[in-house]
Formats: sequence, structure tokens, C-alpha cells
Amino acid sequence: MIFIEAGTRSLRTFDAQLIFADQLTARGFNVCIDAEYLPKDAGRGRVYDAAKFLVDPGEHEVERVFVLGAEEIDDFLLASLRQRQLPADVPVVATGRFETQQSYIGAKARLAYALGREATVLDLTDFQPRSMLPSAACPLVADIRPTARSAVEKPNVAVVLGSMELDAPETLSCLARMSNRSDYTLQLIVNGAQNKVINESPFHDLPTILYTDLSARILAKTTDVLVMFGHGVAGVRMAALAVELIATGGVAIDCTDDEAIVSSGAPALIGPKTPLALDGYLTGKILENLAGVAEQATKSQWLHSVDISRLEKAADLKPQKREPIRTAQRTVFFPTNGVGLGHAQRCAIIAKELPDDMAPIFAAFPSCVPLVRREGLDSIPLVQRTEVSANFNGNDILTYRRLGAALQENDRLVFDGGYVFDSVYRTILERNLSAVWIRRGLWPDGRSRPRMLQREAVFDKVIVPSEAFEELNDTYSYGDHVRNVGPIFRRVVQSGDERQGLRGRLAERFGREFDHLVVSMLGGGVASDRSAQLQAISGMLEDRSDCLHLVVTWPGSKVQPATFGWSNTHVVQTFEATTLCLAADLVISAAGYNSVLEILYNKIPAILIPQSAPYLDNQERRAQALADRDLCAIITEKEFMKLERTVSDCLDQGDLEVYRTALNKIELPEPGAAKAAEIIAEAKCRK
Amino acid sequence: MSALEAINCSVRPKIAYIIEPRFSGGTSVAVAAELRVAVDFGALEVHAITSRTFGENQSVAPALRQVLDELHIPLIWDAPRISADYVILHNPSFLKFNEALNTRIFARDLIVVTHENFLRPGGEEGFDVSGCLNQIEASSFVLRRTLAPISPHNRKTVNDWLDSSRLARQWRVRDTDWFNICHTDVSPPCEKPQDRRGRHSRPGFEKFPSLSDLDMCFPEHSQSNVILGADAMLNAGVLRAHWTLLPFDAISVDEFFGMIDFYVYFTAPTWQESFGRVVTEALAAGKVVLTNPETGANFGDGVLTCHPGDVDRVISDLVADPQRYHEQVSRSRKVLERYSAESFRAMLSNVLTADSGVMK
Repeated sequence: MIFIEAGTRSLRTFDAQLIFADQLTARGFNVCIDAEYLPKDAGRGRVYDAAKFLVDPGEHEVERVFVLGAEEIDDFLLASLRQRQLPADVPVVATGRFETQQSYIGAKARLAYALGREATVLDLTDFQPRSMLPSAACPLVADIRPTARSAVEKPNVAVVLGSMELDAPETLSCLARMSNRSDYTLQLIVNGAQNKVINESPFHDLPTILYTDLSARILAKTTDVLVMFGHGVAGVRMAALAVELIATGGVAIDCTDDEAIVSSGAPALIGPKTPLALDGYLTGKILENLAGVAEQATKSQWLHSVDISRLEKAADLKPQKREPIRTAQRTVFFPTNGVGLGHAQRCAIIAKELPDDMAPIFAAFPSCVPLVRREGLDSIPLVQRTEVSANFNGNDILTYRRLGAALQENDRLVFDGGYVFDSVYRTILERNLSAVWIRRGLWPDGRSRPRMLQREAVFDKVIVPSEAFEELNDTYSYGDHVRNVGPIFRRVVQSGDERQGLRGRLAERFGREFDHLVVSMLGGGVASDRSAQLQAISGMLEDRSDCLHLVVTWPGSKVQPATFGWSNTHVVQTFEATTLCLAADLVISAAGYNSVLEILYNKIPAILIPQSAPYLDNQERRAQALADRDLCAIITEKEFMKLERTVSDCLDQGDLEVYRTALNKIELPEPGAAKAAEIIAEAKCRK
Repeated sequence: MSALEAINCSVRPKIAYIIEPRFSGGTSVAVAAELRVAVDFGALEVHAITSRTFGENQSVAPALRQVLDELHIPLIWDAPRISADYVILHNPSFLKFNEALNTRIFARDLIVVTHENFLRPGGEEGFDVSGCLNQIEASSFVLRRTLAPISPHNRKTVNDWLDSSRLARQWRVRDTDWFNICHTDVSPPCEKPQDRRGRHSRPGFEKFPSLSDLDMCFPEHSQSNVILGADAMLNAGVLRAHWTLLPFDAISVDEFFGMIDFYVYFTAPTWQESFGRVVTEALAAGKVVLTNPETGANFGDGVLTCHPGDVDRVISDLVADPQRYHEQVSRSRKVLERYSAESFRAMLSNVLTADSGVMK
């Protein structure tokens, strides 16, 4: 392992470690960072960046040590180097920008005192006499790939606002106009303060990412034109981004007050000093000539000064080409877990429709793993989010690590969920995956659609499983990559004999003869507590001697202890909920996507009790669509007092028959699982 | 006094010292002892230079402060010009972070006492020697510039450095050492030595050998191991149950020597003492000193030279034979007398009379 150390410990130097570690990894080296370096205030993005590098040094053999920012060396580094007692054959290479000969000699001496032997100290000013960011602790270098990028129809323009204040209202409104241009895609790269201003403004839907949201190397891959405002270059990450972008055939436009990029000798264009003039500059002068500008940049001598291979040579590093572990493309399904296990179930249904040679595997949370395995599909277990941990997204960092380990370049990831986690977003970009987003609709009111869709661009295909009724199929985004398919749900066939047999076994199992079997299925996923509703239903049915009431949940779901206190209510944890529903006379269900489709397509009379939570889909609209067609009864959140009467109408007043009749008559769209599988099989990486 | 007057004055020479009075270690102690001798040779001026090495404050090292007060010599800070027959600049490395020496020096003789080695073991520069000497050269109008090494090893590094430098022709090198004045009174050794080991130094990493060497020097089976100046080890949590680690200045040096019978001193192999003041302090305290051959070279048979792996054997032999221990301590006096104030007086009288002692 190559250990990347830093002369001092700060956010600035940690960024430098991350940037350099990422670059060396991309060059085929095994690189790590001592976990002691992780700053307490690292912030979300840095923790993701760091997750793949941080190690306990005692657990890895040191092959080489690389010290960054050696112009300033503190005792932490020296103590750590001394304690490791590195064997004499482990090379130690340090880089720094030494303003004076004394600072060079001093650094060399201090390292020698700690090591008991000499280190190789490289003065970066020899490589880069004019650095884009002299305070950068890392070498601002890149893998030079001087071929111009292939022409893109709609270039991605990333604008770094730098030190710019956003107090002038016209700035944001101008950027908002630019974000709607059809000839380029705008992305703002902002700091935390700017992000806050934007979020609190009427322009909160502007496409923003933070400096730390992605590594400079990955950001450069997804950017065609980089525009930088403010005074100087906004920190080491943005400097690394500019270097990486230019080195890989992108176009940099220097709009900084002090022309910080151009003055370093980098082949950038000098652009307008205000964003108000940027759109005209881009559309009038740049976009049509992108290829030519990039071509010119590839001829610049400056590229030589940032060529990582020169540094590698000076450090006696020999880049290694990593061969892929597998030759066959792997397809991984990653269903998120919402209130229930609907995402996992939908993915399993689609996975089983895939061609035999694809052999997909799953990455699934513990609650979903049994369901997935039951379908004969293998699964990488993920770690459930916990409310106990102070680190609210700690589990997603683990997911990120596990997805990263399971997927290699050009594999395929199928994500089913509403919010695209950082783990998913980053893995797709970093592994250059062919990516498919299964995104069902009916988003709740009030959710910011642009925010939800901000990460859509990383997916090659978006599969939208439709609802049963057209008025429920909202459209959130457009394009050839968005593909609507029919409803996706689990089909279960049950004959009359099977139904009667099951009802008989239930009567025997629970010691109760019944005329009416009522199944309550209000969801039992990670977030929902439906105990009040279940208690009301159980209480209502307690005295009905003609009824058997089953509360059906997924195995492993939380069930409130009070549910077990009724003599005529029994909790059944099963994967065969649909089978029980088919055997029931009445199902009382939440109005989730899967439940409703199963009720509809299997023609099961039901009372729907839509659930509402900020992260849920709009169940009330879905339930209402059925109720409007007399396909079910509905009890909304505000109508809960209607429950007893509605149950009675169903069981005693013949309403069940009304619903059965309507269900038998209704025409429903063709199911979409096979089509979804076809789209996934054809998906190609377009990034 | 004009520059010409300074050069021509021959009755009672004017001697100007240029120092960075904020050095906390051996340099200030050495200069303080030297001033007590030099004051008999002429009219003394002591000039302080505020270098970047120590920032902006003007806190003078206590040893120097005491001597200046005793001798009633004012400390002159950052004079724009210094004129004297002899200008003695101590430890040029204090200029290593400066861009220029903003004091003009007019003198017949400029003697630069090289307290720090110009080269480290292995040949790497110890500090930016060219940068420092160039500053001095650019600011001085003198008849003769001399480098005065303080020990044979220090001399070797100076000569080796000059051999590869274009500055060589600008500087002469004294052929006798401008040594540190040391205490020559040797405390009596303990009657029956025990395996009580220790070391003291400033806490820098250069002053300590590798951890494996430290473990050999201060093993679990010795009766006690005291390390004074162990700040870096304490900060890094490098602890052993059988070590007593004390920060620099946690106890007095006398208290420290009261806790040990053997002074075991090894440094990082990439650094070497230019004189070894800590060794002379241990010798004067009546302790047996074990150190590496290079550091010990300055002290002849007054110290026992060995490698860390040999320390156990040497100590156990002496613990078993107190008579040999006493004989070893008794050799200290002769060694320390080489570095007495009287010896220095004799050396200085040669310097301040004629060209003697300066290599052509």
C-alpha cells in the first residue's frame, strides 16, 4: 500500500490527500490514508471520498510513503513516521512548494530526523514554476489525455462561483435563465454559504453541487466547460478540477478577477468577469467552437508541467494497469427500502424477467434480503440506516463501499427508489456504470421535483412503471432515456379449491370457524407505525364471531405488542401476503403501489387507507382513483371515524359484491415487468 | 566611531558580538560563558539581531541576560551598523529564514562561529548555509572573514561544505576550535553505581534515536529509565511502563542527574551534535556517559562509545565493578579542562593579537 500522508492536519491538507490518493488509484496504485487524518468537521462529501482510502495503518503493509505539503511539517507527522519504524527499503517521498532553499532543507532534515534516513523531497516549484494555487498541498497534476473530447450535443457547463457574493438578485435570476437554456446544461459548483443563499431564494431549484460532492477527477469527467468566477481559484479541489479538465480535453474559462487560471500558464480562455455576460459569451463565442478551443489547449506546453507521469518518474513510481476482475458484465439491482418492501419486490419481479445469461444479483437491506433470496436471487447484504448513529448517512457510506466493491467498470446498476443516494450517484460515475433508474411516480405534493431529478442525468435509462389509471401517471422528466412501462406487480394465481383449502387451514390453525376472512395489510416497513389503525380495526372485529382477522406483515416487520392482545386478531408474518389476500373476503390495506396493483389485478375487494408521510408517494390520489371507479372503499386520514361503518357495509351490506363486480369489469393496462427487463438488458452506458 | 577609526584603533580593541539572543539551547549558554572571558580583551558591544527564526518578541535567553546584567553591557537590538576591530557573529544559522541581514558590519576581522554543523551525516546540508553566509557577506565591509568551527566534527562539516561551494574563497577557516566553555568541576561519582539510566535533551526529533534503539538503551530490566525532554513522545503517546518520561524543563538538570548513574545519549542517525554540550554537563555531574562514537569523538576517553545494542553489557559490567565506574568518571576532569574558561582565554588571546590560527 502507498500511504498518503500530509505535513500538517487540516481540511485543506486532507483535501490534498484525497485528491492525490484518487489520482494515484486511477493510475493503478494501491493507495490508502491513515484514518487518524479524517478531520472531525470533514463534512458529508469528504467522508464519502475518504471512505475508500481510510485504513488502520497497523493492518496494512507499507510499500511506500508519500508526504504531501512538506513545506510545513508538524510533529504529528514526524511522530507517526517514527512510530511506524519503516523498513529501510520503504521509500519515503515528500512533495512541497518551497519558497526558500531553507524551507526545502528544513523539510528534508525534519523528515530525516523522524525516519532515521533520508527521504526524497521533490520541490513542486521545479515542476510547476507558476502554480494555479500556490497554497495547494498536493501536486496539481493529472493524467494527460491530450485528445479532444468527442463532440457532445448538449455540453455540460459547470460554473464555479468561487468567492462571489450572491447578494445581487440579478445574479441568481441570470443563472436561473441559463439553467433553462437548451443548448447547454448548467451546473453550479458552490460552497456551503452560497448553497444556503440559493436554497433560501426563489431560485432554490438551481442545479447546484457542493465542492465536496464529487472528486475533482469525476467532476471533470462529467464537465465539458468549466467557468470559474471569484478572486483566485476557490481552493484545492477546484484547482484540481481545472487541471484535470484541461488535461482531459475540456475547456476552462477563467472569469476570476485576477485571472488566476490563465496567469498560471494554463490554456484557459479569459471570460467575462460577471455571470450576467456569461450566457452571451458561451452561446456567441464558445459552444460552437468547443472542439477547436479544446484542440488548441492540447498543444499547450503547460500540460507538460501538470503531467502526473513526470511526478511518478521523479518519485520512482511505476504505474500499473489494473485488469478487470471479471470479463462478464454484472448487473446489480439495488432496491431502496421505503415503508414496505415494494422496491425490492418490484426489482425481483423484473430480475426474473431478464434473459438467463444476465444472472443479476442484488444489493439489499436486511429487511429485503429474505424476499430476494426466496426468489432465487443472490444478494449482497447492505446495512440499514439507524437513528441511533450520530452519523445520519453512515449506512450509505457502507453501501457506497459495498457497491464499489461489487461493481467494476462498465457493469450495470439498476436502482429502484425515489431519492438517489450519494452511494448510487457516486458509484455510477466512478465506475462508469451503465445505470438504470426504476422510478415510480405519484410523488407527494410539495416535493421539489428539480431537486429529486437533479441526479437523473447519471442514469442511462429511467424506467417509469405506470399506475393502473392514466390520471395517476404524472410526468416528471422527458427524453429518450425515460421509458414508461406498464404496471409492475406480483401475480399470484389461486384456484377456487386452493382458496377453500387455505381458508380451512386458517380456521384450523387459529381454532375459529368464520364466514368472513379479513386481512389487514397496512405496511410494516422501516418507517411506519400503523398501530392506532390496527387497534381500531382489531377492536371493531373482536366481537364479530363470524370473522377471522389477520394482520399480515412481511417477516421481520415491527409489530406493536398491543396487536397480540386480541383474541380474534392474529399476526401473520409471511412472504405470501397476496395468497392470503386472495383467500380473504375483505382486505384492509394501505395504498402503496404494489398493494393496490395486486388488489386490482387479482380483483380483491378492499378498503384502502392511504398513508401519508413526507417520503411516501401520494397514496391518497391512488386510492381515490380506485374509489372513483367503485373498485374499493377509501378511508382517508380525516375520515377515520368512517372505518367501522365501512367495514360493516362491506361485510354486512353487500358492498363487497359491488366492488367485485367493478373489479371484474375494469380494463387494466398490460403489466410492464417484461418490458422493463428488456430495457435494462439493452441499457448502454452513454456517459 | 567611523569605520576607519574602528579599523585603526589598536590600544584597546573594540569587540562586537552579534548574536540572536533568543536561542534557548547551547548557543546562548556558550556565548554567555564566552562574554565573561572576552570582556578582559577589549571594549565589548553586544548586538542582538531579530531574526525570523524566533519571530518578533525580544525575550533574551536567561543565561545571556544574567551575564549582560553582571557585566553591565547593554544589549543593542538591530543596530543599522556595527563598527569594531573584531566582530564575532555566533551561529549564522539564525539567518536561515531571513532574506537579508539589515545590519552593516565594519571591522578588521569578522569571525563567524559555526555552532551548527553545515552538513548532516550523509552529506545533506544542515541549513541553508549559502543563504546565511551570503547575507553576512553582503552586509559586511571587513578585511578578513573567518569561519570558526566549534569542534573537530563541526570543522569537518564546514570544510566539506566549503569544498563544494563557490563561497570558499571568501572565507578562511580557523584551525583551532572555537569551543564551548564548560564547567570543569566534576561532582564526585556515587559510591556504588546502580543500573539507573537516563538522558536529557531538547525535545526535537533529531535528538532521539529510533524507537528500537531507545528500547535497547532503556530496557525493562534496568532499575530506572528517566528521559527528560520527552515532549514529543508524550504527545504521540509513545509510552513504556518502565520509562519515566518528563517534558523539557519539568525538573531541573540537577534533579535529573540525581536520578541517574548512567547517561545514555544517542541521537537520530541523520543528525549529530556539533559540540555535545549535554555530554559535558553529564560528565561534570559525575556520571558515566555512553554515546555513539561520532558524538564521543569530542570527549576522548571521558566517555564510553558504543552502539545501542552494547549499552546493556557496558552498564552491567560497570555496575558489577564500581572501581571501574569511578575510574571512568575520573577521566572526565581532564576532558573538561580542555573546554575551560582558561583554555578559551588562551585561544582568544591568539585570535585577538595576530593572524595566528587562521588558515591561509
